[in-house]
Amino acid sequence: MSSLAPSSQPAPTKPSLPIDLLPTNLARLVSQAHPALLLAAYYIRFPALVADPVSTLLQSLLPVAVIQIAYAVTCLPAVGAGAKPVAKKVKLNAPKKGGESQVGRKAFTAILSLLLTLFTTLPLFTLQILFGAPLTTHLPHTLLSSAHLALLSLFPLFYVHGTSASKWREIISIYSPIDEVFGGSVGAFIGAWLGAVPIPLDWDREWQAWPITVVTGAYLGYGVGKVVGGWVLKGKRVEFD
Amino acid sequence: MADTKSTSAKAPEASSQAPRLRASVPKAVPGNTNSIAAQYARAKAAQEAADERKAKGIKGSGGGLDRNGRLKSPVVRLNEWKAERFGREWVWGWGFFGWLLFTHIAGLYFFTRGFLLTRLVLEEKSTCGEPPITLSASYKDIGTPETGCWHPKTFDKAIVLIIDALRYDFTIPFEGDEANGDPAEAYHNALPFLYETAVKEPHNAFLLPFIADPPTSTLQRLKGLTTGTLPTFIDIGSNFAGTAIEEDNLLMQMKDAGKKIVHLGDDTWQALFPEYFEPNISRAYDSFAVWDLHTVDNGVNEHIFPLLEKDMKTKWDVMIAHYLGVDHAGHRYGPNHPAMTGKLQQMDGVLRNVVEKLDDDTLLVVMGDHGMDAKGDHGGESDDEVQAALWMYSKKGVFGRTDPSFVTPPKHAKERPVDQIDLVPTLALLLGLPIPFNNLGKPIEEAFAGRKGNAWENLANVVRTTAAGIKRYQAAYFVARGIDESTIDGSPRALWKLAEAKLEKGGKQQIWQDVYSTFTTYQVETLTVCRDLWARFDVPSMCLGVGILAASLLSLMLFANGNQGDDGAVVDNPGLDRAEMQLEIDEFAKGNAPANVEETTSRSIVRGALIGSLLGAAAGPTVWIATGGGALLEFGLALTSVSGLLGVLYQEMRRRMTFGNPFPKTFWGWLAVIFTVSQSIGFASNSYTIWEDSITLFFISTFGVVTAAASLRLEKKSEMTLGVYHSLVFVALGWAASFSKLCREEQMPYCRSTYYASANSSTSAPWQLIIPFVVAIVLPSIIKSYYVSSRNYEGLAPLWIGWAFQAGLLMSAVFWMLDAADDGKWFTNLGEKTLKNLRVPMAQTVFAMAIGAGSVAFGWADPCVSITTEPVPNAGSHTDEPSSTVTILGYANTHGTRYFLLVINILLCILMVQKPMGAGAISLLTWQILSLVEILDLNSLTSSPIGPVVLALLGSFHFFKTGHQATLSSIQWESAFIPLYSIKYPWSPLLTALNSFGAQILAAVSVPLIVLWKQKPQKKGLLRGVMTALAWHVAYYAVVGLATTMWAGHLRRHLMLYRIFCPKFMMAALVLLVVDVVGLLVTLVGVRWNTVKVGETFGWG
Repeated sequence: MSSLAPSSQPAPTKPSLPIDLLPTNLARLVSQAHPALLLAAYYIRFPALVADPVSTLLQSLLPVAVIQIAYAVTCLPAVGAGAKPVAKKVKLNAPKKGGESQVGRKAFTAILSLLLTLFTTLPLFTLQILFGAPLTTHLPHTLLSSAHLALLSLFPLFYVHGTSASKWREIISIYSPIDEVFGGSVGAFIGAWLGAVPIPLDWDREWQAWPITVVTGAYLGYGVGKVVGGWVLKGKRVEFD
Repeated sequence: MADTKSTSAKAPEASSQAPRLRASVPKAVPGNTNSIAAQYARAKAAQEAADERKAKGIKGSGGGLDRNGRLKSPVVRLNEWKAERFGREWVWGWGFFGWLLFTHIAGLYFFTRGFLLTRLVLEEKSTCGEPPITLSASYKDIGTPETGCWHPKTFDKAIVLIIDALRYDFTIPFEGDEANGDPAEAYHNALPFLYETAVKEPHNAFLLPFIADPPTSTLQRLKGLTTGTLPTFIDIGSNFAGTAIEEDNLLMQMKDAGKKIVHLGDDTWQALFPEYFEPNISRAYDSFAVWDLHTVDNGVNEHIFPLLEKDMKTKWDVMIAHYLGVDHAGHRYGPNHPAMTGKLQQMDGVLRNVVEKLDDDTLLVVMGDHGMDAKGDHGGESDDEVQAALWMYSKKGVFGRTDPSFVTPPKHAKERPVDQIDLVPTLALLLGLPIPFNNLGKPIEEAFAGRKGNAWENLANVVRTTAAGIKRYQAAYFVARGIDESTIDGSPRALWKLAEAKLEKGGKQQIWQDVYSTFTTYQVETLTVCRDLWARFDVPSMCLGVGILAASLLSLMLFANGNQGDDGAVVDNPGLDRAEMQLEIDEFAKGNAPANVEETTSRSIVRGALIGSLLGAAAGPTVWIATGGGALLEFGLALTSVSGLLGVLYQEMRRRMTFGNPFPKTFWGWLAVIFTVSQSIGFASNSYTIWEDSITLFFISTFGVVTAAASLRLEKKSEMTLGVYHSLVFVALGWAASFSKLCREEQMPYCRSTYYASANSSTSAPWQLIIPFVVAIVLPSIIKSYYVSSRNYEGLAPLWIGWAFQAGLLMSAVFWMLDAADDGKWFTNLGEKTLKNLRVPMAQTVFAMAIGAGSVAFGWADPCVSITTEPVPNAGSHTDEPSSTVTILGYANTHGTRYFLLVINILLCILMVQKPMGAGAISLLTWQILSLVEILDLNSLTSSPIGPVVLALLGSFHFFKTGHQATLSSIQWESAFIPLYSIKYPWSPLLTALNSFGAQILAAVSVPLIVLWKQKPQKKGLLRGVMTALAWHVAYYAVVGLATTMWAGHLRRHLMLYRIFCPKFMMAALVLLVVDVVGLLVTLVGVRWNTVKVGETFGWG
């Protein structure tokens, strides 16, 4: 896209900014613990996943959702919470009242985001099929792996960005400024993409079965992407040219 | 689909001033009888006349007269100068790609020479009087051809009856199990005679699995079956023109013993054994007419039975009858087809008749020379291909079994198999002949075990004599090669000593049995050593080949990188263009030709190559002496390519001084590198080689998804929508194409073939016959839609795309319908050849249309635009306003749409030679290519390497989707006969290549579209862009070629070498050469022609 000079970048309305964590110690702590907890839980459940992918993936959906909700609620600014100064103001002026309404909004945002995540599982499922996932068999496997991918990568995005079309255009075109939410999301996708690499190998390992490697890649990629996005690359943008 | 980027009509460059022409509402041009060029010239002339007054500043400063003797204007001279410059630039570029092809040939030649195995052919022959070891004292009165040379003669005469491709499971009974989804296939239980006799008359007959040494092509098998040696890979290429066997072999021994040999059937025998056969009674038949199931078999039958009559029996001693029907039925229909049942039943009847007429002194041997895979093809080393059947019969009752349970023939070919080379000592000993000198086989137990199956002493003696022959051959071989035998790992000499020691104690039944098994082990061990030994590679030659390929790849990268001019920036500003052009004309008029354009990268590189080669030639004699010479041709090839490469590298090094950062600078560049390199690394693993088709789909989908994301960044809503739309179309089409599958054996059971009616067939299912008709109806409309979106469905386009192309497609669809009718015997009342006579002319017509008429059409067609001139109503009121408006429909895509006419011609040829399913895949490929060039144009990626690399990925992907795999057996040989009645050189190999590499050829021809699509006539730097794109495109194949070459060389002792790595290497090498040649002869020539035609019409850029 050499024709796009820097000045004419799409930037639908105004240049968007990376997401900052909520300015609380709890948020900082949880944000650190969150990927570790996810990966540890994944590691513990891995033998079960290899033994019986469908039921393990299904049973772990709810715990993963709970972890993601807890993380989002404690660490991330819910959509519509406005920029930080506003949030601070509310807090300073009317700590109690603001707190209550915030809890309600957070809960509402979390539930709505969860619903949206559920809906986006289907496009992700289609995407996996287009990349060569089996069409006639293993449908529950594919669907569940899409659900996990959506929970990891899309749920926090819905939570902080809502459904703004221009923001989502930015996200899908991988042009959103990098922060730990977006970084984790991109990381999960790259991880899932790389997760396909070991499948064809003739090692005859049980974990090579669909979709174990892809889900593993997504979890690993999410952890790495979140850390890298939150620290190393924060505020940068992915440029194709 | 409104394409906003290419506005329907754009103001073209007139000769001079600014707002002379203006964009106006597009209008169709009625009655477009004149040529576009004439119209354009007229419209321009009208304007130029008006301009004349204003253009006083530009005057010719000397030289150049036009045809009428008038001074040419600077404009005309500049144009001529540009045309000449284009011609020169093209020649240098063409020279570069020509030189590249030369280095590829040289590199592949040297690698292949060292890699394909060679075996020394020894001259020695066995003779009756010189057995390899003192014969056992228990044999009396032997040593003469009359009584038997090394073993008492058992039979005077023999009939060797070969049923080509008789797989072992064709001969054993199969109780189908419908309920468990394991029903009897068409090839089961159709030839029960062999099994029946083996069970009912065990002393007269036995049936065993008969394992072929790959490669399983008939010529190689016949060599093994007569000489008793292992074939080496290099011989496989000679299957098309067999050469006579020089080594000691069974037939030579028979001839020397004065036996009269008669041959009937497959003419490969005549090629291998010229002058061996009785001239008047032998009959040879063409072996390559694979669609013909009956001519050979009926011919053999016609002559075999008269020869079995009593009065004719004196005319021959050994008869070789080679039936081809079963093999051809497999090639044509696959094993699971009623035709196969019919063929096998016919063979059953033939055998019963032959046995009936057999006398007591004649041995009958029936065998398959190889098997066939699930589709009925062969050549490789899969189980189904190597497992043939062997059945021996005589009325003497001399056969026995060492174990009573052996009376029942093995249930499958893994049980008690014998090697095909085992037939050589068996037949020699039974006929009382010496065993051919270079034999490595062992006598077959059943033939020497005696009626009771306990003749251990005889068994021990025959196996000892054979083993001694092997030992003698080994010693001679090592002497000839100059190798000390004891240095070879795992030398079985210890076993020999052990066996000899055991023999000393001889006398008891038990000990004879022990001796027998020790000598047998010796033979098996020796065979293993030989197999290993003849995998003797010439590593220096292989390294030279790899080095040449690597250096050639480096030059190619330098070319592609150095060629990237600064023409990437697209400034769509007519005003600026005009001002620039005016400046150019002014400068030219002053006598200042535009500078710096002459020294192109191609010119520099080709000069480097030439200088290097010349220096190399000059130093030739010195090098010759230093290296000790060798074959002159090889020496010249190596010297020229190496010194040329060195010259190029030196030249480039000097020119640039530094190479700079060799890594890509953009995300897209990295994507191209990842796609190419990761796949090439993957070819070192058998899994990634086996699953190449799925992996390319994965990459293609990745590219489409990323471009969809990238398109979302586009500013203009319409461009964004189009970008996303085309990206999704691109992904969806690739995915749809992935349902066309032809699985290779190693992909089982995770793959289901859909290319043919079933996994066991090579004919199309009835529903698949609809595909070509759908293609004929839909494909022209799809192409049309891409023309219409830029208003280019003008000029020749409607006639050629909407009529000629469609007619060709319809004819091709009918062709495949008739082909299926012929295969399926739909019209039994028609004569044998009627359908063939109907459809061959149709195919010929399509080719004549695509190549003959198509080339003429592409050569002379005007650009697919239309021009109209309208007077401006208010002309005259303002003097600066033009008096008329010239509207050119399709101006913005002049280059691309005109070039695509050539792609259509090639496309028609490729579609003609693809099976119905393949025609669908190729059509999807065409659609994907069109979407790809739109995507690249929208995202301004036309000068990035990603476009050519994705195009190459598409080519590789659709290779698999047109029913091919990187295996020998997936070659669709029958495509050689589509427009022909019989084999014709060079057309038959060309047709097979067009069928095999159709997808890659189409992709290579489409490379210029990446650059030319959506380009207006006078765009600068197009040729350089095309050369760069072609270089990146070839670079993909060159990297894959280099990688597979290196892997094949590195993994030369790998278990899967012949099954996976070697075929992949051969395929990659062939594809590289094919793409090189197509790039040179079609792509570059097409671009030249196209640019000249556009330049003549609109002026040069």
